[in-house]
Amino acid sequence: MAGQHLTTAVVGSYSMPGWLERAKNDYLRRRITAHDLDEMHDTAVKAAIKDQEVAGIDIVSDGELRRDNMIDYFAMRLPGVEIDRTSKTSYYDFYESVVRGRMPMAPLGLVEHYRFLRRFTDHRTKVSVTGPHSLVKRIRNEHYPSEEAFAMEIARIMNLELRELVRAGAEQIQIDEPYYSGFPEDLPWGVRAVNALVENVDARLSLHVCYGNRYGKPSWEGSYRYLFPAILEARIDQVTLEFARRGSEDLRLFKEFDAPFTLGLGVIDVKTHDVETPAVVAERIREALAILPTERLSVNPDCGLLHLPREIAFAKLCAMVEGTQLVRREISG
Amino acid sequence: MIIHVNFLPKPGDTGASEVIASLAGLLDQGRLDGEVLSRLRLHLDWLQYKANFREPITVRHATGARGEPTALAELAIDVRRARPERLGDELAHAIASVGAVEHEVAGRAVLEDWAPLSRSAIWQFNRLFWQRLVDWERQTGRGFEAALPSGRSDANHPAAVADAVADFWTLLVELDKRGQLPQEIFALEIGVGPGTRAGLWLDRFKALDEARATGFYPRLRFLLADYSMPTLDRAHRAVEAHRDVVSTIATDALNPMRALSFLRYKILYVHLTNVYDNLPVDELVRRDGQLYLVETRAYLPEPASTAIAQAFGVGPSEQPATVGRLLEAGPDLFGDRERGVAFWRAVWDGVCLEERLRRLEGIADVPLPPGLDGTDLEELLTTAPADIRFHLSGGAVESFMNTVPLLHPRGYLQVQDIFVATMDEYRQGFRGPGKLDGSVVNWVNGPLLRVVGARAGYDVHFAPFRYRPGSRTTILYTTLRE
Repeated sequence: MAGQHLTTAVVGSYSMPGWLERAKNDYLRRRITAHDLDEMHDTAVKAAIKDQEVAGIDIVSDGELRRDNMIDYFAMRLPGVEIDRTSKTSYYDFYESVVRGRMPMAPLGLVEHYRFLRRFTDHRTKVSVTGPHSLVKRIRNEHYPSEEAFAMEIARIMNLELRELVRAGAEQIQIDEPYYSGFPEDLPWGVRAVNALVENVDARLSLHVCYGNRYGKPSWEGSYRYLFPAILEARIDQVTLEFARRGSEDLRLFKEFDAPFTLGLGVIDVKTHDVETPAVVAERIREALAILPTERLSVNPDCGLLHLPREIAFAKLCAMVEGTQLVRREISG
Repeated sequence: MIIHVNFLPKPGDTGASEVIASLAGLLDQGRLDGEVLSRLRLHLDWLQYKANFREPITVRHATGARGEPTALAELAIDVRRARPERLGDELAHAIASVGAVEHEVAGRAVLEDWAPLSRSAIWQFNRLFWQRLVDWERQTGRGFEAALPSGRSDANHPAAVADAVADFWTLLVELDKRGQLPQEIFALEIGVGPGTRAGLWLDRFKALDEARATGFYPRLRFLLADYSMPTLDRAHRAVEAHRDVVSTIATDALNPMRALSFLRYKILYVHLTNVYDNLPVDELVRRDGQLYLVETRAYLPEPASTAIAQAFGVGPSEQPATVGRLLEAGPDLFGDRERGVAFWRAVWDGVCLEERLRRLEGIADVPLPPGLDGTDLEELLTTAPADIRFHLSGGAVESFMNTVPLLHPRGYLQVQDIFVATMDEYRQGFRGPGKLDGSVVNWVNGPLLRVVGARAGYDVHFAPFRYRPGSRTTILYTTLRE
């Protein structure tokens, strides 16, 4: 059935409970143990999975609730990155992190968290990783001759981890590169770094590019036009973009350029608490279907749901699924 | 008794010694109840606002969370106004009233029921002032800026305005270089006063743009926002020369998003002067590790009540209802606007706030403004002095939180106002509320805004206003928190 192509997925993060924020900060201040925090993470992840399943999402994630933010989770795992653990008092802040010598090869330990996700859902799953370009914008480089060289080294190390994830059963891997939008001039080497990252990674690969979601607000503004044509060189299966907040104007880029990948269409604005109606979601999908066929389209929020209250995030996911079903029914007649 | 000296005295201008001497005299004379004395806290204040809501000697009782009486009681003395020749008797009388079962003071015209400060009638007076500014000024014969301590507003200092314009223009150049400058350049001023600052700003911006041939001015969309239409009308006349780039919009400073949501993430520069100090606040008190919320009720002291009765024929028992009508209908309540404004001014001159402290059982019971988390307040209190009374600047927080979503990702907020920079400062002087002409003025809790800003993704900084020596103004500005 053609409508089944409109699969629904989250971009990655799910609503961060207030109690977990407090626990993460308490852990930073040595008020609770790592064991206690791990237990809370497990509980929160299970709840996030359940919410996604109940909302009817096809491809679920672990909600990325174990992560302090999109940088530190990786900076703390990448071998050779030195972290100043006194440099933040709020979990969401970034650590001061620096690379002062050649980074050795070592596992990052993402597989363990993937297995946890797998154990608690029968749905298809997605694992998201922050891409090399975004990481080099936050980790200070005092060794490599250029940002590109640094990014390629990170890609080389993380590539092994992605292959481990595939060996563990991961079918869908997403690379997050929001910093492209802040530094469009970096795009040619940013794409080369992504290609190095995904080399011989046998999974469905998506690349998520947004205009930032730090503190639930955009970090930049502009048009996705900067992505083209450089993005066409990325060896990925899907690009996941935000359209709900920004409007659908950039959809025409997919008419203008013959992209070799599918589109993960952002239909939920994650920067407002206003919950979209299924009808609004459906209309956004129909606009995209005027340009791309169903088999080249899947449906997701603009970005992660991290900053939304749980009830809002859940309601938005439900609306997204219902809106998608409306269009599926129309397509299947 | 614990004595709190809540100000940094300057040699020669404090009456603290007279107060202490009077107390010692009462002790020697055996005129103080030992039981009351053992639980009494005496607060010596220096109220720098000549017009304020306090009588020179006031008593504050404390209650439990459900209104039951508790042991804590406070006696607050404005040493600036306390009269040495009557101090002994007045102190004895006030201390006796601490121990009394009946706390009502005879002769007062009480205008409202007990409520947290943010819900006091004084905010209705404040709103009325800005809505009927023209009527007020017509009778007083002077503009409201003349009531400022320096007689003029720091908002209009030409050098400060020139620097503000230069900073903004530099941002535009940087964005332009990166190809990220939007076609329409939105700037917003909330709380426009007479429009003087906006006029200066626009003149300067236009001149700079023309001198550097950057072509930004024609792309500028400058929005004047205020909740008072008379004020907006006056400000618009002041910027007549820039009418092609200026729009006015009726906006509540507490929630600019309501009127301007179509500009979410689009405004590059938002400026406010002396707005936050005029928004509702609550006050919290911590004594012996216990948090209290300050509750107030407005009243007219006996002399003011009597004078109003004689001048306007409105007896003390009728005064609460008549004042209520004034606040609802404005100064036309007598069918004679002149008389109505005179009544309004007389009531405002006389109105005081009675205070009591209601114990809160925990942080969760604090009436937190949107955007402030209980844990944030808890953190703030860990760095604050143990015994403290401070502002919970809910109006400022609400305004801030409802303004920053308007900012373009590279935009910034600039606020000229009177800010408390550290929690310690609350123990070093009186921070309001005071009366400024017909409006309310309060210092704004800067540390609170820092916490709220961080949560919203902004670092909040405070810079002294260096353009006028002796100015109490501080400039708050935001930078993006990465």
